[in-house]
Amino acid sequence: MGIKYVLLVSRQGKVRLAKWFNTLSPKEKQKIIKEVTQMVLSRRTKMCNFLEYKDEKVVYRRYASLFFVTGISSTDNELITLEIIHRFVEILDRYFGNVCELDLIFNFQKAYFVLDELIIAGEMQESSKKSVLRVVSQQDALEEGENGEKGWQEK
Amino acid sequence: MASNMRGLTVFIADIRNCRVRELEEKRINKEMANIRAKFKDGNLNGYQKKKYVCKLLYMYILGWDIDFGHMEAVNLISSSKYSEKQIGYLGVTLLMHENHDLARLVVNSIRKDLGELNEIYNCLALHSIANIGGREMADSLAGDVHKLLLSQNSKSFVRKKAALTLLRLYRKHPDVIPAADWAERVITLLDDSDLGITLCATSLIMALAQDNLEEYKDCYTKAVNRLSRIIVDKEYSPDYVYYKVPIPWLQVKLLRLLQYYPASEDRDTRNNLHNVLQTILNNSQDTQKNVQHNNAQNAVLFEAINLAIHLDTESQIVNQAAILLGRFITAKETNVRYLGLETMAHLAACLDSLEPVKKHQDTILLSLRDKDISVRRRGLDLLYSMCDVTNAKVIVTELLRYLNIADYALREEMVLKIAILTERFATEYQWYVDIILQLISTAGDHVGEEVWYRVVQIVTNNEGLQEYASRTVLTHLKSPACHENLVKIGGYILGEFGHLISNVPGANPIEQFQAIHSKFGMCTLQTRALLLTTYFKFINLFPEIKGEILPVFNQYRHALDSELQQRASEYMSMATMPSEDLLQTVCEEMPPFPERESALLSRLHQKNSDTEDKRTWLLGREANKEINLKTSFTQRNNSFEFKSKDESNGNGESDIISSLEGLKIENNTNNNKENNNINNTNNNDNNEQGETFSLTPESERWVNKLLYNNEGILYEDNQLQIGLKSEYHSHLGRLALYFGNKTNENFISFTTVVENINDLIITTPQKPSTILAPASQTQQLFHIECQDVFFGLPNLRISYISGKFRTICIKLPITLNKFMEPIQLNGPEFFARWKQIGGDQREKQIVFTSNVPINIQGIRKIISGFRYEILEGVDINPHNVVGASVLYTSEGGMIGCLLRLEPNVDTQMYRLTIRTTNHIVTNEFCTLLQPRLMNDLI
Repeated sequence: MGIKYVLLVSRQGKVRLAKWFNTLSPKEKQKIIKEVTQMVLSRRTKMCNFLEYKDEKVVYRRYASLFFVTGISSTDNELITLEIIHRFVEILDRYFGNVCELDLIFNFQKAYFVLDELIIAGEMQESSKKSVLRVVSQQDALEEGENGEKGWQEK
Repeated sequence: MASNMRGLTVFIADIRNCRVRELEEKRINKEMANIRAKFKDGNLNGYQKKKYVCKLLYMYILGWDIDFGHMEAVNLISSSKYSEKQIGYLGVTLLMHENHDLARLVVNSIRKDLGELNEIYNCLALHSIANIGGREMADSLAGDVHKLLLSQNSKSFVRKKAALTLLRLYRKHPDVIPAADWAERVITLLDDSDLGITLCATSLIMALAQDNLEEYKDCYTKAVNRLSRIIVDKEYSPDYVYYKVPIPWLQVKLLRLLQYYPASEDRDTRNNLHNVLQTILNNSQDTQKNVQHNNAQNAVLFEAINLAIHLDTESQIVNQAAILLGRFITAKETNVRYLGLETMAHLAACLDSLEPVKKHQDTILLSLRDKDISVRRRGLDLLYSMCDVTNAKVIVTELLRYLNIADYALREEMVLKIAILTERFATEYQWYVDIILQLISTAGDHVGEEVWYRVVQIVTNNEGLQEYASRTVLTHLKSPACHENLVKIGGYILGEFGHLISNVPGANPIEQFQAIHSKFGMCTLQTRALLLTTYFKFINLFPEIKGEILPVFNQYRHALDSELQQRASEYMSMATMPSEDLLQTVCEEMPPFPERESALLSRLHQKNSDTEDKRTWLLGREANKEINLKTSFTQRNNSFEFKSKDESNGNGESDIISSLEGLKIENNTNNNKENNNINNTNNNDNNEQGETFSLTPESERWVNKLLYNNEGILYEDNQLQIGLKSEYHSHLGRLALYFGNKTNENFISFTTVVENINDLIITTPQKPSTILAPASQTQQLFHIECQDVFFGLPNLRISYISGKFRTICIKLPITLNKFMEPIQLNGPEFFARWKQIGGDQREKQIVFTSNVPINIQGIRKIISGFRYEILEGVDINPHNVVGASVLYTSEGGMIGCLLRLEPNVDTQMYRLTIRTTNHIVTNEFCTLLQPRLMNDLI
């Protein structure tokens, strides 16, 4: 059924983003995060980007200090999922301008918004970088407009 | 990027400064208390609410439990500020699951945002439906989402989201989506000029089509065409090129969608698809330096190979693919090795001959020693799939050797697979027993109960195995390290068949008993209970060792465990009865087990069932045939359904005929009801079928004229005009349709589908373009071949979007008489043949009244238009028309056709006599000709 979840996990195992595309209880989510993170972190470089986890597959790739991890069903196309991850990273990179883990920590909500423009219901929604960024900047423009009148409220 | 909530930034920085978890916890608790107090206090403005909700979300992402703040998030959703609304929605989607009590509170806000004029708000609403997707939302909002998807006014980025939101709702609650009703309209999205929309629509269609194969069958041709346009014609916008590969995501999806259907019957579609697959294969010949390019290209390639295997395992393309895969499994890049092995396993599971795979056996065996467990697993799967009688010994031996060092995570599955292969491909009893016992002693705890049950079953049912099995198991029992599972098997087998070897040196009764009893103390209670039964059987088989066994029973009569105690007591008293009758009856040899499905297979498949998407293929060759793996079962069911519908399609054909006949009778009695919907006379039980056949009203008046003319207007309304030209030579014909757009708007997703009739082959070398510009014309050419006698007229379904979606169903004037060639005969020749054919069934004579005045010149035109040569001077009455012709078919040969028509101008009546060498043809000609004579004014 396409992607079941997207996790961004740091090398220390801290979760930076977790997005679930099917309904799971908090307990199940925690279990997956724990087990999958453990498996992924123990992989060595040069190993392939795919793993089996229960009846599903895990497709992951490491970018600097962050692991981008997705869960897919065992029949899904692994390589194309890997490239969804890459496209996500490229878009984040363009959006934040040379993205690093800190950007995603302090602007976690933005990372979620970008992801929403790329994937819905676990399926690639838009593969064109330009189209995704256009919509995100449209959102930002709206917010910017509102912030102009609001900035002074923060003490 | 606009986000400056300083409070949030400070908080996040604080947390990051907490070096130990206790400090983080302290800081979190402090913040939670703070936020709780603020929320309780109320009186917060939107900005403050937003900030606090953000803080909660950050804590949530770090893995802390958040049990409040939901209400504040809900409130933010109805804020008039976009930024607040956005955080509100994020909060709701992260913190709430679909059945949360507050979820229903959100429904109204979502509905409002769906209706907003600003698309950015629509998007927020769609995201939240797609993320939460509860029952309530599905029930009340699916309709709104559907409207957004199909409305021409929606922006494309909204439509994309709407398509995927529907997909999510369908997956969760299939009943709220009328999948079959939407089919036609949703399928047109495959032609959308925006590739992003096509991508999303394909995801949706894949899910809907899986469950409604028949209703969505038109998506097949469209998918092939779209692939062909992208891959062969290179028709795409540069935005969608990903590292030189055009929209690989869509390619992969379309290739997968095609695997849900059996191979197409239509030649053009098949050729098109073949071109697509060949091009993909050719493109993959050169490997690229760029990782992304390589991955995208290979993602498409592997999907294409899977499709090729699905279509025809013997095809040239699959051959090429097998060679390619052979290269992949030795590739340096681990991903490629992994996928190469995976796809080869698919191939092995489908191929009739395993030779192309076996060539690589050594490489594959080596993959069991790959550094990466993921690759090792794939290697194991492939070995399992490619195993047959010839290589079973090598593969099983290698697997057994590997089992010793295999990862613990792999062992249980390996044991099952080895056990299955051993059982399935054993040609010698000895080998089976040796391997399976070795397996059990090597794998120890990883052997599931099923494995030893199965061994007992097989030994019991195969007399030839019993002696050897008893001897071998005894040897194992005598070795110092003997796994408990072996003790179980040993206990059972010796208890049943120990007497077969009691004369062998080292295996006399007392030695057998001692071998088992030496392990007794180390076994679990369950095994001990089993062994007590063995001893009991020994008393029956070998009365001479009763003295050694009774003390054991005696001892266990006092065991704490009630099961052991009961067995020991019962066995003791039975063994000490004065008569041995009862003992003998109870211990009679076990009857063979009834043949049943191997528990091993079900166990193995249990391990990999449960996927939402249908598997397009399965692992393991024979397994596919033997096992009803849940998924394969549903898949089979589906294909069965598909087939049976297909069959009814066949019946549908004859239904048309009967309905046409009905029409004819109606015409006879009930003047001029020609344009009646053919559907009306269809049977009820064929209703579903009828729907697709339902003709556009009024469309028949054009087609009727074209039965005896080769060109003219086929259809016209205020939007569309269709012109026709055709020519026929014996059994072949060519027909061109000219579609004219009379409006000022584009026709989008312009599609034509011809519903084939048995024995009439209609192919179209080139589909018309899917967009028909205003006031312009497009042409479509058809090649026609009459293979054998066929009935009726083929249907042509045209659909397009011009403002709204529209379909037109008309008949194509391709009838049996088109394939006749007139022949000139003189009087004597004609009568000779007339007699030769004879009367009986091959003649049909009807007398009928015309609805229009008879015009002698007119009827001659009709008859010659029906491709009869009008023979002059054969009939003495000059008004009568006599005709001769020959019908050509490519496989059914030639059929002579003669006709005599006697009009009575005064009474406005006809007598029509038709003779042909085939009574079916005779009937068909009457059916076709009579209504024309009755109703057409020329």
